[in-house]
Amino acid sequence: MIQQPIDPRIAWERYRPSDASPWNLKKVGHLYRRAAFGANMDEMQAALRDGPEQTITALLQGREDRDADALWVSMSRTIGDANAQNNASQLSALWLYRMLYSVHPLREKLTLFWHNHFATSNHKVRNAGYMLGQYELLRRHAQGSFRTLLTDMSRDPAMLVWLDNALSQRNQPNENYARELMELFSLGVPNARRPGERNYTEQDVREAARAFTGWRIENGRGVFRERDHDPGEKTVIGQRGRWGADDVVRICLEQESAAFFIVRKLFRFFVSDSIQPTPELLEPLATEFRRQYDFGALVERILRSNLFFADTSYRAKIKAPIDFVLGLVRGLEGHRASEAGQGGVGTSELARALEGLGQRLFYPPSVAGWEGGRAWLNGQTLLFRHNLALALTSTADARFGRRLDLAQLLRRNNMGTNEERVDFLLRVFLQGDVPAATRDRLLRYANNNERQSYPAFWTADDIANHRTRTLCHLVLCLPEFQLD
Amino acid sequence: MQPTRREFLRFSLAGSSMVALTSAIPNFLGRAAAQAPAAGQAGARDTILVVVQLTGGNDGLNTVIPTRDPNYTRLRPTLRIQNSLRVNDSTGLHPSMSGLHGLLQDNALCIVQGVGYPNPSQSHFRSMDIWHAASTAEALTEGWVGRALRHVPAATSFHMANQNEAAPLALTGAPARVPSIATLDDFQLRLNAASAGDRRQQREFLDGVSRPADNPPSLLDFVQRTAVQTYASSQRLSEVGRNYQPRTTYPQSALGNHLKLAAQLIDAGLGARLFYVTLDGFDTHAAQGPAHANLLRDVSDSITAFYRDLAERGQRERILILTFSEFGRRGHENGSQGTDHGAGAPMLLVGGRVRSGLVGEQPPLTNLVQGNLLHTIDFRQVYATILDQWLGVPSRQILGQAYAPIEILRGV
Repeated sequence: MIQQPIDPRIAWERYRPSDASPWNLKKVGHLYRRAAFGANMDEMQAALRDGPEQTITALLQGREDRDADALWVSMSRTIGDANAQNNASQLSALWLYRMLYSVHPLREKLTLFWHNHFATSNHKVRNAGYMLGQYELLRRHAQGSFRTLLTDMSRDPAMLVWLDNALSQRNQPNENYARELMELFSLGVPNARRPGERNYTEQDVREAARAFTGWRIENGRGVFRERDHDPGEKTVIGQRGRWGADDVVRICLEQESAAFFIVRKLFRFFVSDSIQPTPELLEPLATEFRRQYDFGALVERILRSNLFFADTSYRAKIKAPIDFVLGLVRGLEGHRASEAGQGGVGTSELARALEGLGQRLFYPPSVAGWEGGRAWLNGQTLLFRHNLALALTSTADARFGRRLDLAQLLRRNNMGTNEERVDFLLRVFLQGDVPAATRDRLLRYANNNERQSYPAFWTADDIANHRTRTLCHLVLCLPEFQLD
Repeated sequence: MQPTRREFLRFSLAGSSMVALTSAIPNFLGRAAAQAPAAGQAGARDTILVVVQLTGGNDGLNTVIPTRDPNYTRLRPTLRIQNSLRVNDSTGLHPSMSGLHGLLQDNALCIVQGVGYPNPSQSHFRSMDIWHAASTAEALTEGWVGRALRHVPAATSFHMANQNEAAPLALTGAPARVPSIATLDDFQLRLNAASAGDRRQQREFLDGVSRPADNPPSLLDFVQRTAVQTYASSQRLSEVGRNYQPRTTYPQSALGNHLKLAAQLIDAGLGARLFYVTLDGFDTHAAQGPAHANLLRDVSDSITAFYRDLAERGQRERILILTFSEFGRRGHENGSQGTDHGAGAPMLLVGGRVRSGLVGEQPPLTNLVQGNLLHTIDFRQVYATILDQWLGVPSRQILGQAYAPIEILRGV
């Protein structure tokens, strides 16, 4: 990949539309893919009118929706209270539901970022209530202070189970949490500024593990029990004292690498998973982030930046399965049917399908979370994506019902001819940004298709619907649609 | 220093005729068994290597157990295994590995003890990368299996993937992307076609839009290559092995299914020679006992079923199965009936041509470094031996230097 040198000073300055870089449908689609879970045609048109400032402000702030929040509380209580493994299958469906219908999708997206960061799996925790508790913790701080989030994480019941800290003994500490706190949650192994140096030693892990002793789960809450804690002196990354859990978090966040570590990860999440950012490029963000660890401010700075809207960031990621599925459903307005009282797309089946695509919420594959990037696609998952797109758009698969009513959507938008249909579908899903040859191929298929022979019992409507659904499926199979 | 991705691609494109642009089509499609090495050479029998990765750090000390060592009892007050299966007077296998123990009687199990590398990393990720790349260099970009595949261009390979599993680093660097596959049934591209003609037109459309353009390797190019490979594999695999009847019973587990599918692909005669499978869950920091026993049972039963199934089909001499984990675990158990990350550990080799029994020494439990077992055999010695003697690939070129071979194979 040709890498243009990126000037760190200009990269993070505010993006302002210009003749060279106009505010257009491509940028709107890009913004909604990254900062939400995709958009439908109306939302994109509105954003086009409103401009980037206002659109991004709305995405950052969301809207209040008391009904949805109340519904969430009651549903999560039902699933969490029963507290049993057999509710596990509902966990991902519940969150997926919130992602799909939320009026503040960015918040869910950032919660997903943190879920991937702390990568706790119910596979081991085996307690839906704890998992939802951790989700609430992540969501509460999704746009808040990383320092608070990391501090609270040490006493989160799901985490205490996940990395065994609830079992750690003062005389024989369990090193699991201490190690991953440093390696995966705050610092990473290699030093961000000094190549070849590492941020901590094996001895630091062992000492920090002693500091983390004393935490237990009682009545579903993380509590500190003095008698289980090793009160002796510990030396952690050069600092000596009678440290406890919060001290280790403080010491880690005092390291220069900590801010870089989080900023780099967010860069990969929001900007590009195909370029390796240099320390110089990340520096302005890391320096600012380190002052307060204000994650919301970091998110805003990136989303409003030149680099976020630059060509190098456009389609520079492989779509995560969740973005693939929700983008498809939102584009086809599957979440709207619900508003009209017709019952929208159900998320239980979507959750099941997502498992096949490699992203089961509340069940990340390892302590490092989902690898992401190119790892999302292999011969199998790409095929599953194609087949799921078919199931969601065809009438043949009963799992998702006929809820994505493509014909109605096209009628509402007055799309009658083959050409109008092809262009509409390409605009909704790809903002019209495909090679001319691809559009020609689609049109050729549609026109040839009119001359095809069909089963004798098909009505003219059946034939037209079949063609529309097939066109839609083919658009969803385009290589460009796999890119974010 | 490190070649860029683009340079690498250019190199690998020039390096093998299999990798013209069209060769995004997996090479197993055009494979004929005729391209095997000349008789008498290593690899002449179209040898097959199956790598089984035990992810998380397998507790080697409770897998191959020093039964008479009082230090073992001291280090493992609650986790020690008392009813192990006898290997010799002082060594036993974990009791849930009765399958592999049976293979020992059949001269088909080789236990390489005390395997590791100098200055071991106790990070899962770093250590796994080291094992995959067979190198402790700072930046690791290519795997040992991938590099080996460049020297056997005719060989085909499969990654038996769990669903959210990426192609492992070990397989990168191969001349063509190694396809990932979980089940044959799932591998069918479904289309919304009204007739055979309609289906053909849709396939033509998909083939057309996934033809990679002549631009430098980009993300879009990656998707297109994946798509071409997917469509071709789907087509081919839909015709393979529908009527496969295993000769043994495989356990109902992901590992069992993956190995059964591998047997199916071997039996179909696609010329597949390298298989890669992983099993996660070995990171047993707490309440290790039952979890570890179940994992080892799965490993033992699945590998045994696979070996016996293929042996029944006359493939005994062709197969070699290798297990490894990124590290062993700490000598002493922790306070939560678990074990923390360690270092040296055994590797298990199964096949009709292994030197059955124990190889190397059990690391002395009186000489632990930071509580960890020392290694006596470098894992690259095992790789080198397999590369040279089993696959017929010059290990020196793959591993960057010569490693002393060890006695793990016979009559090769």
